[in-house]
Amino acid sequence: MTNSAQLAHHPSRNQLLENLGRWAFVLPVLLINLVVVVIPSVVGLGAAFTDWTGYGTPNFIGLENFQRLLSDGVFFKALQNNLLWTALFLTAPIAVGLLGAYLLSSIKTGQMIFRIAYFIPYVIASVVNTQIWRQLLHPRVGIGAWLADYGITFLDFPIFGTRSTALYAVAFVDAWHFWGFLVVIYLAAMSAVDTELYEVARLDGATRLQQFRFVTLPSIRPTLVFSILMIIIWSSTTFDYVYMLTSGGPANSSELMSTYLYINAFNRFDAGYAASIGMMMSIWVGLAVSGFVYLRRRGWEI
Amino acid sequence: MKQLQLLLLVLVILLLGSVTMAQDEIVVTWWTEDYIDIEQINAALVEPFNAANPGIRLEITPTTELNNTLRTALAAGEAPDILQTPGASFIAEFLRSGLILDLADVADQMGWEEKLLPWAYQSGVIEGGLYSIPLTYESMVLLYNKTVFDENGWAVPTTLAELEAIAEEAVAIGINPLTYGNVGWQPTNEHLVGIYLNNYAGPENVYQALIGEKSWTDPEFAGAIELLRTHIADNGWFGGSLETYFAYGWDEFWAELASGEAAMMMIGTWGFRGANEFFGETGMEWDWAPLPVLSELAGEYNYELATGSTLSVNASSDHPEAVITVLDWIMNNKEVVLNVASGYGYGEFMVPLVYTSDDFPADADPRIVRFFADFAQVTGEGRVGYTTWTFWPADPNVQLWEAVEQVWFGDLGVEDYLAEHQALWDAARESGVTLPIPAR
Repeated sequence: MTNSAQLAHHPSRNQLLENLGRWAFVLPVLLINLVVVVIPSVVGLGAAFTDWTGYGTPNFIGLENFQRLLSDGVFFKALQNNLLWTALFLTAPIAVGLLGAYLLSSIKTGQMIFRIAYFIPYVIASVVNTQIWRQLLHPRVGIGAWLADYGITFLDFPIFGTRSTALYAVAFVDAWHFWGFLVVIYLAAMSAVDTELYEVARLDGATRLQQFRFVTLPSIRPTLVFSILMIIIWSSTTFDYVYMLTSGGPANSSELMSTYLYINAFNRFDAGYAASIGMMMSIWVGLAVSGFVYLRRRGWEI
Repeated sequence: MKQLQLLLLVLVILLLGSVTMAQDEIVVTWWTEDYIDIEQINAALVEPFNAANPGIRLEITPTTELNNTLRTALAAGEAPDILQTPGASFIAEFLRSGLILDLADVADQMGWEEKLLPWAYQSGVIEGGLYSIPLTYESMVLLYNKTVFDENGWAVPTTLAELEAIAEEAVAIGINPLTYGNVGWQPTNEHLVGIYLNNYAGPENVYQALIGEKSWTDPEFAGAIELLRTHIADNGWFGGSLETYFAYGWDEFWAELASGEAAMMMIGTWGFRGANEFFGETGMEWDWAPLPVLSELAGEYNYELATGSTLSVNASSDHPEAVITVLDWIMNNKEVVLNVASGYGYGEFMVPLVYTSDDFPADADPRIVRFFADFAQVTGEGRVGYTTWTFWPADPNVQLWEAVEQVWFGDLGVEDYLAEHQALWDAARESGVTLPIPAR
């Protein structure tokens, strides 16, 4: 019998104390997580099967909310917008973030200034950012009107008030605030890449673009994959920029599942129905995460 | 050392004494909206009340996101004694959940029905019980840039034809006939829908529909919605285009009206606050008039009834008598109410007591005094209309302002919109969540 086997069967007092110590450190956070995240989530999921108004006691109504959801045109418009939003955020911000980080990685002096400048929009409150852009894109006193004075009229219209552009305009403002975050995390990943690999590639005759494709990208793959997963998850729950810029209008053209949930919960006194929308959002996120787990199990190196 | 101990003992006794003395006082808590001027209301209302009522201390707290904070507090049993809500649909919800007290007996004893305007008292009566007192009342008016009107020799429009004539002339000289927008408060749409329903279909027809004797799909209402759609979408009279309406918020449409780039605004009397603020900066003159009658169905002009916020008594309050004392004191002190309301251009905190022009201080804006006098007279004659946020149940109310956007863009037909509306009213009637409609 080895020492470790002995220990396994008869843990000493020291071992018990050590375990207790570990639990003591984890317990507070675990409790907070339980009370603030787990319990409300379970209650919320439960509310989806009731007719709760937000006040008073709920009554169980089974799958009625979900049946209503399936024939709700506004919900499907919102779902469509969420998918469009995800597609937009998986392309433009990532591309711009990668480009920005790559260019920035070769700057030695003044790199910190650029990093701070790109990151500032991310740390400014969404309320402030939305006000800034509402003024910048204002139909009478914004950039569009100013450019029109010089004959450039393509931006001279109420960008947030026009159905065909409302969602894209909001996505632009949100992306503007978000890509600084991507630049920072990609830059951090890129600076961890072994410079010898670039040396080797250069000696083999690779152009800068080829170096980027064959050295940088594969090396930062974990960070890239992390950012893709987070974008998918955050796209499902995104709320504040849409709510403050257009409230989901005009005529539901920028409605997202989160803003539709809000109207149902707080204007219609229909918290049960809102909870069922919330469940749909959770299912969507769950599918995305499961997809990743499945691909990883299949051997994809992600 | 002994002296020090004695001193400490005396201090402790004094401290305990002051604490217990403070505990003898009953504290009545009231959370209100966060735009109020807390210093002004403390000086004008709280301190006089506390002085006149020893033993009760009123505490008013401005609260951000009042509705949501109240909801959470109610669920936790931590809500204040006085519940302030934005209106009738909340009261119906609170009543269903047993959160508010029935004040009917108290009101009888204290004669509240005589102190309040008759329709205002009735607005809090649900199935014989009194559940809320309006904190402020408002109506819808036509606000206009008087300087622009004078410069162009325009007279205030009182009919649809006159309104359209002025609108066409305004467009011809490059200014917007009307201005408005829903940025920052999407339910703003209901102000316009309500105005057109009341002033085209007429208050009598609206009343019939509210009590279920008429259907919202009837042609009078279809005509009203169609007229609004023509004005806002086809003609672009609100701000220049339909898209601009969705890009404008409070600051934008006031700036446009106050600078003479728009001629008129259809808004509630809370607009008196905005008018004073913005016209004060541009130096132009403003004035108001009753909204023009948009068809013969509407008869003579009317004033829509609206309660802005309401006050109810929390059913789990430890000291409801003290809370009722606060409400009663407010209703018995017109000068206090007007003093508080003057801080907001009489656009807020106007408890619907029976005022005359003499009640207002000499330095009150004569235009605003004129409104309250005319309102009292006209509504006294029974020429009242119905605002959607005061008399509609929650579900049809939300559909009214949410789905109308699709009507304006041409995605939803007027008939389908009104059919959906009627269906939601039928459901609300079945679930018993309709609100009290004062008899005509």
